[in-house]
Amino acid sequence: MNVTTPLSQDVINSLTINDQILITGKIYTGRDAALPKLIELYEQGRLAENGISLTGGVIFHTAVSDAGIGPTSSNKVEIEESIPLLSQAGIKIHLGKGKLSDATVAALKAHGSVFAVTPPASALLTAKMTHKRVAAFPEEGIEALYELTVVDFPAIIAIAHGRSIFDR
Amino acid sequence: MSKLHYDTVVDRIADTLVTASTTFTPDQMRAYAHCKAKETNPNAGWVLEKLIENAEEAEKNALPLCDDTGTPHVIIELGKDATLPGDFLPAVEAGVAEGLRRLPARAMGVLGDDKERVSQKKGLSDDPGHLAMAPLRIIAIPGNAIRVTVLMLGGGPELRGKTLRVFHKHNFQVVLDEMVAWAKEAVALLGCQPAILAFGVGRSNFEASSLALEALKNADFDVQTDVEKEITDRVNAEHIGALGLGGDTSVLATFVKIGAQRASGWRVVSLRTECCVGPRRATCEF
Ligand code: SF4
Ligand code: SF4
Repeated sequence: MNVTTPLSQDVINSLTINDQILITGKIYTGRDAALPKLIELYEQGRLAENGISLTGGVIFHTAVSDAGIGPTSSNKVEIEESIPLLSQAGIKIHLGKGKLSDATVAALKAHGSVFAVTPPASALLTAKMTHKRVAAFPEEGIEALYELTVVDFPAIIAIAHGRSIFDR
Repeated sequence: MSKLHYDTVVDRIADTLVTASTTFTPDQMRAYAHCKAKETNPNAGWVLEKLIENAEEAEKNALPLCDDTGTPHVIIELGKDATLPGDFLPAVEAGVAEGLRRLPARAMGVLGDDKERVSQKKGLSDDPGHLAMAPLRIIAIPGNAIRVTVLMLGGGPELRGKTLRVFHKHNFQVVLDEMVAWAKEAVALLGCQPAILAFGVGRSNFEASSLALEALKNADFDVQTDVEKEITDRVNAEHIGALGLGGDTSVLATFVKIGAQRASGWRVVSLRTECCVGPRRATCEF
């Protein structure tokens, strides 16, 4: 299934776990360093003045370096903790890898957001990226908040509407 | 053997590092294709397909297989009739640094004095080449060749590795069962499955982990011993699966290197839980 950002709630509602999706459009990146700072901006109501719009958005848990992009483990404390609040702030797809806790599964459901995973296929994923720019926190280097433009970026829906692919 | 020039060595080692970071060997591609063909879980099949596409894309465009480009490790095989000039080791070191820049690798070298490097308080160098290679190993071989293998070791497998004594009770199966138990636990936690398991069995922590690295250097995915196959099959029976999504392919292959042993009731076993892009390695010969 092809999805384009910004994502509507209808599109998210139509997704179920095990769906293979291809994402096209602008997405943000962030991990341990940038995500807590992004939440701070949101809580201070300062996203717009920094040119950031999270509504219908995607956050990809990755660093952005000359070596490319690739998912880091989303169950690292700072990253997993960001998921409920950034969902509340408008993020619809959190994209990374690894199993998330029952509390996060419930929070995603409550906010109508989903979690998708993608393999650490950096050469492939980097080839899907047509543009990148630092959107905030340049002092974090490769861990800054980047805005990427991607075309047909592959992922699989892992957690949606209270169900998780990792429950076996 | 022709006279070795410093600049030639630097250039060849740099190219070898790039090859290690951007290509799968044909036997590894065959192993992936084989697992993909018999995978019964559609999600895992999708992951294996993406990993194959990734390897093709990486080789075609000389892009890193993974953005964690790893820490360089070097093994030198030195022919007994070869002559190694004194500046060979500095040239290898310079070649590794040049290769990291040529790739380019992720700039991961940590700045500062001893305490600052541990705490990462001084931050990172902007230069990918700042990441020094690990202490190297030299192995004697027949003939007059000098072979250099560069292995790029990523962070995930480092977190899931283990080196520890195992009491063998004079029964090989006891040690094997312990190796399988370690592997099941490590593969479940790895995150970037399928894993490639490398075991060394020796007399000291140093020897056992050196042997595990040697097993990765020698890795041929077309050849599996009974012991290697048993370990792979028993971990695959857990159905952890590619990217932890379930299915039949938790482990792509296992490589075991058993070294000399000593009179004692224990053996030192070292496990490296190499990940789905491993073993990133390539060899050049002088
Ligand atoms: S474990 Fe391997 S594939 Fe995963 S991020 Fe690390 S180096 Fe890359
Ligand atoms: S037996 Fe000897 S070598 Fe072993 S720990 Fe004791 S003093 Fe050291």
